[in-house]
Amino acid sequence: MEFSLSEEQEMLKTMARDFLENECPKTHVREMMEDEVGFSRELWKKMADVGWLGLVFPEEYGGSGMNFRDLTILCEEMGRALLPGPFLQTELLVGMPILAAGTEEQKKEYLPKIASGDMVCTLAVLEEDGDFWPDGVQLKATQRGNDYIINGTKLFVNNAKGVDYILVAARTRRAIEPEDGITLFLVDMAEWGTYVSPLTTMDQTRPLFEVMFNHVAVPASNIIGELHKGWPVLKEAALKAAAALCAEMVGGGEWVLETTVNYAKERIAFGVPIGSFQVIKHKCADMYSGLEYARSLMEWAAEAIKDGNADAPMAVSMAKSYGGDTYKMVCDHGVQTHGGIGFTWDHDMHLYFKRARSSDTAFGDSYYHRELLAQAAD
Amino acid sequence: MASDKLDALRREVRDWLRANLPKGWGTPEYVPPPRYSRESHELGKEWTKKMYDAGYTGFNYPKEYGGIERPREEIAIINEEMGRTGTPGGPLSLGLLVAAPAILVHGEEWQKKRFIPKILSGEESWCEGFSEPDAGSDLANVQTTAVRDGDEWVVNGQKVWTSMWEFADWGLLVAKTEPDAPRHRNLSYFLFDTTTPGFSRRPLRQMSGEAEFGEMFFDDMRIPHENMMDQQGRGWYVAMTALMAERSFGGTGFTGGMAAMGGLGTSDLLGANSLVELAKSTKRYGKSVWDESAFRQRIMQTAIEMEAMRWSGARLAAKMMKGGQIGNEASLLKNFQAEMRQRRGDLTCEILGAYSQMVRGSTRAVEEGEHVYNMLRARGATIEMGTSEINRNIIAERILGLPR
Repeated sequence: MEFSLSEEQEMLKTMARDFLENECPKTHVREMMEDEVGFSRELWKKMADVGWLGLVFPEEYGGSGMNFRDLTILCEEMGRALLPGPFLQTELLVGMPILAAGTEEQKKEYLPKIASGDMVCTLAVLEEDGDFWPDGVQLKATQRGNDYIINGTKLFVNNAKGVDYILVAARTRRAIEPEDGITLFLVDMAEWGTYVSPLTTMDQTRPLFEVMFNHVAVPASNIIGELHKGWPVLKEAALKAAAALCAEMVGGGEWVLETTVNYAKERIAFGVPIGSFQVIKHKCADMYSGLEYARSLMEWAAEAIKDGNADAPMAVSMAKSYGGDTYKMVCDHGVQTHGGIGFTWDHDMHLYFKRARSSDTAFGDSYYHRELLAQAAD
Repeated sequence: MASDKLDALRREVRDWLRANLPKGWGTPEYVPPPRYSRESHELGKEWTKKMYDAGYTGFNYPKEYGGIERPREEIAIINEEMGRTGTPGGPLSLGLLVAAPAILVHGEEWQKKRFIPKILSGEESWCEGFSEPDAGSDLANVQTTAVRDGDEWVVNGQKVWTSMWEFADWGLLVAKTEPDAPRHRNLSYFLFDTTTPGFSRRPLRQMSGEAEFGEMFFDDMRIPHENMMDQQGRGWYVAMTALMAERSFGGTGFTGGMAAMGGLGTSDLLGANSLVELAKSTKRYGKSVWDESAFRQRIMQTAIEMEAMRWSGARLAAKMMKGGQIGNEASLLKNFQAEMRQRRGDLTCEILGAYSQMVRGSTRAVEEGEHVYNMLRARGATIEMGTSEINRNIIAERILGLPR
């Protein structure tokens, strides 16, 4: 495994940081927090122009054929900038299933559109129980002629308002094994019968929605992958998304660390910078150390996915669990070290604090991933 | 490098291990010599010599000082194989971890040629005389003095917490040579022969009951001037090089690679698998501890932390191999390793419940009290080689740039 970035990767990182500093300053993030759609189509188009939206797709489908580790470099910068919008959803949770399990027609139709920024997507899998597991998928899709009729409600759907397609996990048959009988439908949001309403959430940088499907007819040609066999496809996509989220978390955590260290150097109390106090130094040292270890696990997970290693699920569970806990700890210390100003709405610290919380719950929290690891050792 | 060539090396190392490891190694029938005993020390010396003669240790040093040059990929494979079997070692590690790196950076040409080859080959073992009763974390407060007398220095004072104190052939010594100079510029660094008259040593018993460390006394002990390392008054800086090297190996040691370089705490190599096995085989309140969610979570947290440590150690090692200096990152690894060791020690004893009270000597003790020993010994891990607090200061001040 390579531990340093290649020249190309360094360029990608620098470019991403510059791009996001210009296009996604905190003023933009805060504007999107108040926006009912929650992300900017204009910025999305610009991301397409610099090649981010097709980064990991093969060239034949309008992509640039770069690898998963390259993508995580972008994700670190997106996490640092708190970029609003369903990037992980579009690229990894919808794009990847199409690439991995879609028909040639589907790949040719959708992937170039995703890459060009004309097709923004999200995934609808969680329901009332809020857990990412096959038993959680109860929403039904019933065959009628060449169509499937979807009926029911999905919860915790990222950016459902304003996207063009939602990939929906639905029950298409009863089965003994919970993983069996789940099918993935690509639902065109222009269709009649989908109702999207916002959930009022803590982390406003990543809005969640409730999506109601009222007898929505989806043609069988919009099934991604095999009928009844959608769960393994989803699981694979979620593994990638979780790894990418780990990169976001490390990127966000590093912003919090840098901001906190700079504050500790400047803020004067009792006549000296607070960063000269050991209690503050030790908090900063713990933030730094935690992020270094989270980074090691994240890079290991990203490389394992890139190379298709068998230990990828273990690496992702470790990276997600450790990364989630660490990001929360880093933000806790960040807020505390800032004192009163860190508790205000005006300071940006709480945006990261909340991102850390919402990231920990996404794709299985720390407890879930430790339990997964334990089951592997049962 | 062609992978079949590397595979061949891997087979060669394994064959060599089969032929050379002590009889019954890795099985219950092998009874290791008692910790810190002369037999254990001799075993370590012999083993290092064997490895050196086979070309399996002595890496990262120039040929003219006895170093063995091999491609990075080969070293990685050798270290991995040595690490997996948890080869004998221990008594010589201080020479490799502290003396040789310091001599390489600060030593004169004759010192490098005289001392480094015998460290690499295991022929001479070393101890270090840094800490004193009143100079622990505040190491610059050294009170041991060295006074020039012709071509010699006359040393008086006391050192504490000396590892390898009992059998070391040579010692590193920091002593005050300029009583009136400002802090950090009043110390000099010496290499001394432990058979010199005026030198004596005695054991220092620690909370786990052993005397892993000792105290050293200098009573008009004479050191030739040529054994001073670097310039007079530069002792603090030499000591810092040595300590940083020690910390970095203390941190990366458990990745297994360093086990081959002298066998740092093989207990670290057991990993979380041993915890899983222990939890599975231990019953509390009528059911397996492994079925308790609280324990499962904490055991897996340990597994995660070990992996985090492994990859971070590998990242640091890669940086070092690319020519980067051993940096302040050493403090980061050292702390994590030490604190993780404590957490694991505690967790192990908590799994054992009432049986965590029995130590070596009781027929009822689990694993002859090894788990309890590890838990107790780990208390020292966050104090030796720079306390956790000192290391956090180093991270905050030297990496993050916070004001002193």
